[in-house]
Amino acid sequence: MSNIDKHEITLNINGNSTSLTVEGRTLLHDTLRRAGMVSVHAGCEHGVCGACTVRINGQSARSCITLAVQVDGDEITTVESLAKGEELNIIQEAFWRRHGLQCGFCTPGMLMRVTEFLEENPDPTRDEAREAIASNLCRCTGYQHIIDSVIEAAARLRGEEWSDDAGIPARELGDATEVSN
Amino acid sequence: MKPPRFEYLRPDSVGAAVALLNEHGEGARILAGGQSLIPMMNFRIAQPSHLIDITRVPGLDAITDEGNAITIGAAVRQSTVEYSPVVKDRCPLLVEALKWVAHEPIRHRGTVCGSLAHADPHSELAATSLALNATFTVVGASGERQVPAVDFFIGPFTTVIESGEMLSSVSFPVVPAGSGYAIDEFSRTHGNFAIAGGVSVIQLGADGKVASATLSMFGMASRAFRAFAAEERLIGSMPTAEAIAEAADLALVDVDCSADMHGSEEYRAHLGRVYAGRVLTSAVARAQGGSK
Amino acid sequence: MGLGGMNKLNWIGRSLPRVEDKKFLMGRGGYIDDMDLHGMLHVAVLRSPFAHAIIKGMDTSAAEALPGVVAVITGKQAAELCDWMPDFNPEPNLHKWRVLADEKVRYVGEGVAVVVAESRYIAEDGRDLIEVDYEPLAPVPSARKAQEAGAALLHDGMESNVAHDSTLAFGDVDGEFERAAHIVREHVYWGRTAAQPMETAGSVASYNPGNGMLTIHANSVALTNFSFLVAGTLKIDSNKLDLVPMPAGGSFGSKFWATRATVTAGMCSKFLGRPVKYVEDRLDHALSCDHHGSEREYDIEMAISADGEFRALRLVCTDDYGAYFQFGLGTHGNAMSQVIGPYDIKAISYRAVGVLTNKCQQGAYRGFGSEVHNFALERLVDKAAIELGVDALELRRKNFITPDKFPHKIPGGNVYDSGNYEAVLQEALKDARLDYWRAEQAKAREEGRYVGIGIVTQQERSVYAANEWWFFRGAEGVSSVPESVSLHVDALGKVSVTMYSTAFWGNSPETVAAQVLGEELGVNPDEVSFAYQGTNKGLPGSGPGGSRFTVMITGAVQGASAKIRDKAIKIAAHMLEVAEGDLEYVNGGVQVKGDPSQRKSLAEIAIMPRLFKHQLPDDITSGFDADMVYDHPYTTLPTADRSDLGIFYPMMAHATHIAVVEVDVETGGVKFLDYIAVHDCGTVVNPRSLDGQVIGGLAQGVGQALYEEFVYDDEGQIQSSSWLDYLIPSAMEIPEVRLGHHETPSPFTPYGMKGGGEGGRMHAPAAIASAVDDALKPLGATRATHLPLTPERIISMVNGH
Ligand SMILES: Cc1cc2nc3c(=O)[nH]c(=O)nc-3n(C[C@H](O)[C@H](O)[C@H](O)COP(=O)(O)OP(=O)(O)OC[C@H]3O[C@@H](n4cnc5c(N)ncnc54)[C@H](O)[C@@H]3O)c2cc1C
Ligand code: FES
Ligand code: FES
Repeated sequence: MSNIDKHEITLNINGNSTSLTVEGRTLLHDTLRRAGMVSVHAGCEHGVCGACTVRINGQSARSCITLAVQVDGDEITTVESLAKGEELNIIQEAFWRRHGLQCGFCTPGMLMRVTEFLEENPDPTRDEAREAIASNLCRCTGYQHIIDSVIEAAARLRGEEWSDDAGIPARELGDATEVSN
Repeated sequence: MKPPRFEYLRPDSVGAAVALLNEHGEGARILAGGQSLIPMMNFRIAQPSHLIDITRVPGLDAITDEGNAITIGAAVRQSTVEYSPVVKDRCPLLVEALKWVAHEPIRHRGTVCGSLAHADPHSELAATSLALNATFTVVGASGERQVPAVDFFIGPFTTVIESGEMLSSVSFPVVPAGSGYAIDEFSRTHGNFAIAGGVSVIQLGADGKVASATLSMFGMASRAFRAFAAEERLIGSMPTAEAIAEAADLALVDVDCSADMHGSEEYRAHLGRVYAGRVLTSAVARAQGGSK
Repeated sequence: MGLGGMNKLNWIGRSLPRVEDKKFLMGRGGYIDDMDLHGMLHVAVLRSPFAHAIIKGMDTSAAEALPGVVAVITGKQAAELCDWMPDFNPEPNLHKWRVLADEKVRYVGEGVAVVVAESRYIAEDGRDLIEVDYEPLAPVPSARKAQEAGAALLHDGMESNVAHDSTLAFGDVDGEFERAAHIVREHVYWGRTAAQPMETAGSVASYNPGNGMLTIHANSVALTNFSFLVAGTLKIDSNKLDLVPMPAGGSFGSKFWATRATVTAGMCSKFLGRPVKYVEDRLDHALSCDHHGSEREYDIEMAISADGEFRALRLVCTDDYGAYFQFGLGTHGNAMSQVIGPYDIKAISYRAVGVLTNKCQQGAYRGFGSEVHNFALERLVDKAAIELGVDALELRRKNFITPDKFPHKIPGGNVYDSGNYEAVLQEALKDARLDYWRAEQAKAREEGRYVGIGIVTQQERSVYAANEWWFFRGAEGVSSVPESVSLHVDALGKVSVTMYSTAFWGNSPETVAAQVLGEELGVNPDEVSFAYQGTNKGLPGSGPGGSRFTVMITGAVQGASAKIRDKAIKIAAHMLEVAEGDLEYVNGGVQVKGDPSQRKSLAEIAIMPRLFKHQLPDDITSGFDADMVYDHPYTTLPTADRSDLGIFYPMMAHATHIAVVEVDVETGGVKFLDYIAVHDCGTVVNPRSLDGQVIGGLAQGVGQALYEEFVYDDEGQIQSSSWLDYLIPSAMEIPEVRLGHHETPSPFTPYGMKGGGEGGRMHAPAAIASAVDDALKPLGATRATHLPLTPERIISMVNGH
């Protein structure tokens, strides 16, 4: 067995073509983290939890059971691509307002999965949303607020207003003393 | 949990892949989607010396409608099959089976042939290939051979593919018009491996009697298997509830059920009979309803 | 301070989006594994394949020769580099443990050596090259087997594997049982699970040989008062260790006083003089995390009067602690705090038997032992209703402690601060549509389907005091459990908060502090900034745990805010040339009482002590900062003879949970049809964030009841080390929960808050078991007393086993 199994690969990470040298065995999540995409979390490293979910050519996938060499030349999207500067995108903001996260560790994987799901199904039922996110484990939320977030995001992406149940950030409330409780 | 070192190779033809397999011997393995192999390597249960990635071999990513069968190349991802209009139209059982396999992000990467070659005893696809009498094309240095599904799976994670050979495609016969089919399983959590499940395809004659029947089971023994005794009980009979119940009772004769923390042998045998009954009942109902 | 007499609240009680969240949504949470130091090395731990064995020798030469491997440290070497691990076990000399086993391994997965290398990949390659010579010993795979005659001993110094056996009794227990019209008995088993947060425990250690400082960033820094114990283990001066908290990707108890990763990384860094990262992988964490949750068996019985009054409770609880006794009897302290549940039981006898076995040690997991007690008690109450032939709800109601009885001293000495159990139950029943579900149940039965409804009414203790750890033994123990903050108001009046323990592990300490600051200083919660300070020179903190953080951080923020307000008034008095007594702090500024036109904003005031000290009166010093160390608001110490255990866990939340399930009696599968939960944890700071805690805990309760278990076989081999077998429920296994809140403020805490972080897990298992029993009633099934209720177990219950 050769000890040096190095490969020059090119990944298009969030729109940036990136040349990397990896070993054949280097897992995609480690490669992405090393490239600065620390949103890509390792929860189990055996394909069960989905914390490492990224999109490969638009399709959600487990980066912990994918080798970097397997996706040479492919487009990879991670959570780092979602926000514009300080501004969360609609799905992120829906997660924020509907408390779709607690510790945040499953969140990047969840967001990538949900982004894909809402592209395929812009007007999901709660049951459909539930089944879609069942690919990703969350140990904190019990999922209900994640499903709320998915439904909220879908409505907003269809152009609807924030629902009454969506929290309003303190900054937008301004001086709460002027707002009735 | 990081995989051990190996050499990564990416041939551009089946011939080259087979040559590499033969060149590097026992330690060399085909890499398809990696969705079973890489977790095993992360646990260091599998320690191959060479991985031969076949997913970019031109032509291996084709789904071909052969008229009476659908042929799926070794690089075709599970989700591609799941959303293929021709598969949905001609072999909808395969689409239903795929919905039970893992989760969508895993099906985006995993291949149909990889799952079959992996021969996990819990595999829905293995059982589906048995129930549909699929044919496997195995290629080696001396050429290719066709293997019927009943001969393909020989034990846990073991098939007739020999060292130096690979699976290049699998052909699923189309589900005959007017037949009923069903797949169902029990897994402890959504998307996890089944601890018992069954697949059945049933055709009824004009007299309402069972003209042909297949029943295969998975998740419960050392491999997916055909329940021939159950099939024989039904063929030629009216598919009454009693007949189905009797057939289901025969589904596990001579089968040594496996045991693990999720279920003892007795429990698996019990579940197996339950699921044999359930899929036979659904398949018969669909056949009677004329659904495809 | 209670709610009475308080001003209208502007921020507390609002479901604000949490101030922590944006960085996590952007993937910039800054977890421990995101930390990368120049020249940092990585660790892999070699683990024992045997449950019980002597380590006879080890050959590390091949590993050391592997390019990229920097060092291998064996258990023997580690025993020289480090002292024993710090723990809270009651017999410190009998069953000590080390960061790596040196002479003997006591469970599958116990670490025996570490490889330190340029990358984690290479470290694991090196690990594969180490050869260990083990001499296997007879395994001790369960508490029962551990107590059999002739069982192998885990620890040489002990006479048996029973590490602890003592009874606490209060009231006339024997008399009550003699006089009882009915005695109801139940046997209950609670399977071994663990918190298994999505992020494992990890540390990055960096030793500077120049000044002897060892800095360790870790996601498990709680109990900062005890960091000197970690320094002791690492053999450095306590003032040369700085443990710096990092946000944790979930804990649920698993990162409470979790010191393995910290000591592992610290040991390697100190030995090599280079930064070292050790983040457990999932296998490390499953096999050998700092603690699994409880594994317990109960024999529990109740004396009941002729008219259905619960008179006395007697129980023997056998705890399978695993190989070590890290937390001593903390898990029983938790149970003792709410030993009578919501019922007015006058006498109790509680025997705790702690047994050591060849398994990973047990410790904190959401409920910390009280959740198990809840399960046992409610299973017993359900059984009592059946045996007495009365309605289970009426029986509960009859025995509820009524609102007029609070504060209520329970047998043992703890006090329940406040509560209104009937009101909570009413609210749950109002939502539950029980008539509808009973009709559905009847209809289903006709169709051969089995639907069941389970209702439980249970306690959720919160805000522990340290004496919960020590009353099972004679000696005095530690009593401090403070929490601290520092507030800093900068020259422009912007407020920053410093916290002192790993406050964030998925709860919302920053949001709580920000909302409280909104009330206390009138600042906008979104404009507060937060930092976490290490233990070195840090103020004392005890971290989250025992649902204490919301109350404790609020007390600290409140106290520090008062100091800021006082100084603001002093400065404003000078600026406005008005007597201090004529000024008040309102809406983020100081004004003349009744005259908002004469006002200075916090920003106008803040610049003065920052930049213009010498234009101020002499007694006003530079700076605008305030520290506050907040001690437990309501605790008393045990008496020397332990006839009274003192008040140790008094903020008593309460909940009713109603589960509606359907059981497939052919497969044993359980499916939820409905779930209602109403909680009362006093004044709610952020309702939606509390809802999240309740549902999240409930999901873990579902896991406990139906799916999760660390199964060890007769050889002590663990069967469920991967997440394919240790079954964390997905969204498809968790019900949609209908939630309600009732608010009975605590008279003893700021704003009347109580803790609410653990509740779901403390209530769901009993509700689910009760629903399963109700579903299977027509079949004459045995009762659901053994968790998890695996499908196979349910089938055997249906078959009468
Ligand atoms: C969390 C999780 C849940 C899962 N749940 C299920 C489930 O419920 N049901 C189920 O069936 N599967 C399940 N899987 C497995 C999944 O379906 C895999 O994708 C599949 O089994 C393997 O396909 P692959 O293409 O990824 O093969 P790989 O992982 O690449 O290969 C698997 C094995 O087959 C060999 N191989 C692959 N292709 C060929 C070929 N053409 N010729 C010869 N040998 C070949 C490889 O050498 C290797 O030994 C699960 C996986 C995960 C991670
Ligand atoms: S880390 Fe990839 S699936 Fe868990
Ligand atoms: S928010 Fe913590 S795991 Fe999902």
